[in-house]
Amino acid sequence: MSYTIVYFDGTSSKMHKALLQITALRWDITFTEDDGSSKIISWDTTIIKKTNVYTESFVSYSYGKSFPFQRIESTDTALIEHVNSAKNIDLHKLDVLLHTNKRSSFLYLLTAILGIAIGMYFYVIPTVSTHFISNLNHKSVEGFGNFVFKVLSTDLEIDAEKTKKLQYFVDAIQIESTFPLEVYVAKSEDINAFAVSGGKIVVYDALLEKIENESQLLALIGHEISHIENRHVLKNVTRNLSGALFISILFGDISGINTVLAENAHLFSQLSFTRSLEKEADIYGLKIMKDNKVDLYGMSELFAILKDETKLDMPTYLSNHPMLKDRIEYTQKIAKEQGSISENTLLKEKWDALKTTFTNIELKDE
Amino acid sequence: MEIITNNNTEEKRFKYFGAGLEFAIIYFKNILLTIITIGLYYPWAKVELLKYHYQSTALDNSRFTFHAKGKEVFKGFIKIYAILITLYAFLIYASQTQDLTLITTATILFYVFLLLLIPLAIHGSVRYRASRSSWKGIHFKYLGNRKELFLLYLKGLFFTIITFGIYGAWLQVDLRKYVLSNLRFGDLSFKFKGAGGELFWITLKFILLIYITLGIYGFWYYKNIIKFYVNNLEISQDGKPLSFKCNIKTADIVELLVINFFLLIFTLGLATPWVTVRTFKFILRFIIIEEGLDTERIQQVSYDDYDDATGDDFMDFLDFDLL
Repeated sequence: MSYTIVYFDGTSSKMHKALLQITALRWDITFTEDDGSSKIISWDTTIIKKTNVYTESFVSYSYGKSFPFQRIESTDTALIEHVNSAKNIDLHKLDVLLHTNKRSSFLYLLTAILGIAIGMYFYVIPTVSTHFISNLNHKSVEGFGNFVFKVLSTDLEIDAEKTKKLQYFVDAIQIESTFPLEVYVAKSEDINAFAVSGGKIVVYDALLEKIENESQLLALIGHEISHIENRHVLKNVTRNLSGALFISILFGDISGINTVLAENAHLFSQLSFTRSLEKEADIYGLKIMKDNKVDLYGMSELFAILKDETKLDMPTYLSNHPMLKDRIEYTQKIAKEQGSISENTLLKEKWDALKTTFTNIELKDE
Repeated sequence: MEIITNNNTEEKRFKYFGAGLEFAIIYFKNILLTIITIGLYYPWAKVELLKYHYQSTALDNSRFTFHAKGKEVFKGFIKIYAILITLYAFLIYASQTQDLTLITTATILFYVFLLLLIPLAIHGSVRYRASRSSWKGIHFKYLGNRKELFLLYLKGLFFTIITFGIYGAWLQVDLRKYVLSNLRFGDLSFKFKGAGGELFWITLKFILLIYITLGIYGFWYYKNIIKFYVNNLEISQDGKPLSFKCNIKTADIVELLVINFFLLIFTLGLATPWVTVRTFKFILRFIIIEEGLDTERIQQVSYDDYDDATGDDFMDFLDFDLL
């Protein structure tokens, strides 16, 4: 059987209308020259190169070990059918298969992309990044923390006296910490505190001033220690970055508007992850309090203080911390189960010493 | 009496044969493979999509062919990422020292380096793409000199900076003139006859009118840009220049872009392959080469087997596309 093709000899653009005959070992191309003579070109099948892309109703091949390369093109359906039905299994075969029933292939591909993307985003990336951070050696975590702290500390006005007293309090907490705990009291009107990877905790003096007893302070410090021990900051950053990277790879090439939509969705999902870390920190903080035999209600009291100070309590889905109302409820539930406790005199003593630094200022002001 | 000639010199038209669903399957297949391999498949995906567009584009009833290999593009891809990661590592290292001089030096170096890479990337990219493109078995070839292009760019960059960007239009045109004057297709050569002033005027009108027309002027701008690039392009056979022509009208641009916009919006981007196919079909329909080009007697000259795709990968990283 012969197929109609167009042949180019590689030395000029002259188009030769030709016939192709295919056998197992060679392809014979026959055409008529301008002078009327007939010419046969034989191609050795082992040197024929196919253009590796699928376009319906068009095939092309090039031939030759070295330049110039000969070429044939064809739109002959019989030839295309012959090529597509070849028995050898290669990428072209997959394309032929995919294009046999286009609509269903399209749907299968979309489903596969969606499934894999969802799996990657919600399972593989979080698991891998959390696992990676959990197994990161101490030195790297501390190194990262020191770097972050170095950058942050330029904007912090540290109160040396209060820092010293708060450090005594932290040193008196009974805890097996994997990182050396270092606390700092910074001057600020914000009611806030935060932890830096590798063991550093910064508490703003405005918040410290609102705290009424040692259990509330331990609730605060315990919560922050939990962030440090569980490497929350790094887990959060890694997950956030890898998730964002994945989203940008996935949507980067599609269109601007969808990238924005996807990035916002990512932000929401990230917020919910952050909230889950905060809850974990609350629960772990309560455990530290329990181990140190202080009143567990200190935690919900701390939240009550924060709630009074934050006039606008954002709905849970917009905030990175669970809503304070929820936090008060679930920490109270745990506190209820605590039996009678004797006073932790050591912590109380350190707390009292710290509290005097505030009263002294007030006296001076007067 | 009818004179029968063997010439094939009538006006030449482009035609795009791609089909939406057919391309969508190739497009999404490549996205899937890219996701599964966490991005490593990207170079192969890029090559296959380009191959599809080349093979779907016909001039004078013959299709173009893209001969690139995923492996070549992958090697370039790795090189570019190695360079960029080194640069970023240096920037991060500098920012960690908190030494202001070092940070400033590192930041300046970073941008200067990126800027200086551009002409080298243009050279590499054009040479690679030209070497890997053919039509009727005849290969393209880029004869430009890397150093010449670099100096041309440096001069233009200097004037662009001291004129606060105004010279940018001339720089762009100068680069295009240089690249095209060094591009060969067999024994045919190219020329870009546009002027920097013309491009500057198109851009200035855009800046002045885009806001007061609430963006509507964008359609006219798009039309002007296409016409500027196509109508100023010449191809020469036996020393005889022949012009490319694009007779697209603003109304056509409106039709193209508005429908594309709605297609993308209402399908959340899933229509991207259809939009791509539609755009190629649409634009190529308007491009012709004036009468006189004999497509039957273009002679192959020599072949430049240039397999370094690094420049092409860098252009891709910067999101510049030469096509």
